[in-house]
Amino acid sequence: MIEFDQVGLSYGDGPPVLKNLSFAIAPGSFHFLTGPSGSGKTSLLRLLLLSRRPSTGQITMFGDDTTGLSGDKLLAIRRRIGIVFQEFRLLDHLTTFENVALPLRVQGLPDSAYRENVTELLDWVGLGKRMDALPELLSGGEKQRAAIARAVISKPELLLADEPTGNVDPDLSERLMHLFAELNKMGTTVLVATHETALLDKFAVPRMILTNGEVRFDD
Amino acid sequence: MTDAPGIEDTETAKPAPIVPVASVAGRTLMLLVTIMTFLSCLTVGSVVLIQKSAVGWSADVGREVTIELRQVTGEVMESNVRTAIALAESVPGVGRARALSHDEVKGLLAPWLGQGLELDNLKLPELIVVEIAEPNNLDIGMLNKAVSTIPGASLDTHAAWRQQLNVMAGTIVVSGLLVLGLILVATILAVVFATRGTMASSRDIVDVLHFIGASNRFIADEFQRRFLTIGVTGGLFGGLGAIAFFLVAGLVVSTVLPSQSSAQLGALFGRFALGLDGIVAILFIVPVVGALTALTSRMTVRRFLSQISS
Repeated sequence: MIEFDQVGLSYGDGPPVLKNLSFAIAPGSFHFLTGPSGSGKTSLLRLLLLSRRPSTGQITMFGDDTTGLSGDKLLAIRRRIGIVFQEFRLLDHLTTFENVALPLRVQGLPDSAYRENVTELLDWVGLGKRMDALPELLSGGEKQRAAIARAVISKPELLLADEPTGNVDPDLSERLMHLFAELNKMGTTVLVATHETALLDKFAVPRMILTNGEVRFDD
Repeated sequence: MTDAPGIEDTETAKPAPIVPVASVAGRTLMLLVTIMTFLSCLTVGSVVLIQKSAVGWSADVGREVTIELRQVTGEVMESNVRTAIALAESVPGVGRARALSHDEVKGLLAPWLGQGLELDNLKLPELIVVEIAEPNNLDIGMLNKAVSTIPGASLDTHAAWRQQLNVMAGTIVVSGLLVLGLILVATILAVVFATRGTMASSRDIVDVLHFIGASNRFIADEFQRRFLTIGVTGGLFGGLGAIAFFLVAGLVVSTVLPSQSSAQLGALFGRFALGLDGIVAILFIVPVVGALTALTSRMTVRRFLSQISS
């Protein structure tokens, strides 16, 4: 599903943040991406999201070489990826329902085409009764569940999560991880970036460990 | 599920715009568009008023010519006046000819020489106003020839005055169009800066939209929709404000101002009435400003998106 071949990344003329990464992530797998602060986790996620281009090497996603991809092809790949941010990044002026429906709306689907699916998903993540609430009225946990629902509403093949449990309590962290595990069971490839050791210890999930811009796998 | 409060409302409600309309930048831009549209409409309205007045003046002046009879030694003025009137009225196209009384001449000279003028001590020429009944049938050459047979008589067709009026009206129209152009250019620049500001402050929204798979075209459409709303709303406020201004100004000129000031303004702007064509011209500015705002913002947004995507 994802192949990195000698991928390096530098910002401007600065030192390389990621060095010669070569690895593959199989479809339907579940990985933790971990490493100390500043190890390059967020940079790696940016490459996977195609919001940054590698300085060196080649990234293949869903069978397509992403080098030089632009326009509709880039868009088509992005729509196969769901993303969950630590800081949720919900749009403040939209309701929970509208935030979750956003990925389908940007694909040009009418409200009637996705209303049932969004309602069902919000029920599944426990926000069925908070559909009309604006983000400012949601708790941290509710916001994160809304963000996860938004990330998976368009049934992405790859789900990326950047420190998704960073702003929620330990109990909710665990519940969110179970949610990711459920999604993975349904066939979604999941990559969760985290540095929370308690979480890493609790879930027996293969780890991608980034240290000084280099990656190693720890099963 | 359906027992949840507000769900029924959600099902019938239109989805909220992805780009929030009521942001600070939006309000500022709307005020700016309102002011710019008001100024544009004021310019167009003033040009329409002056153009109408110029056409009116030209038509009034064109309906009359003047025969001037200077004092000539050995000639009897009263006899020459009667001859001039008779000759003028015999020319095809002329309706009526009449000599101006001393009081009328005094009234004409008063603005230059002041009130209480004693004309008896001055050797002023006699003036005969020749009213033209049928301008298309008037044989001005024949009239000129007839007048030239009278010693000391000359014909003034007001051609120079009419030409000056036309030049003045043309200059005002061209100047008005230039001012309108400058205002529209200023509007475009203001929209560009406002759009850039809005894009910078909406960077989070743009990033999220990109991450969830929105195309640049979709994002530009969303922002354009917002700016079109702002442009049309601001344009409507500005246009209606300008129409209200002309209505109130017309009312003030005709009722509040002293009659002398009113007459002077009336000479320049006519009855200060825009008329249907003037109102249509002003209302035409509204969609122009709305479209200009939307188009400018779209181009700015596309450039912004290209920059952050590259």
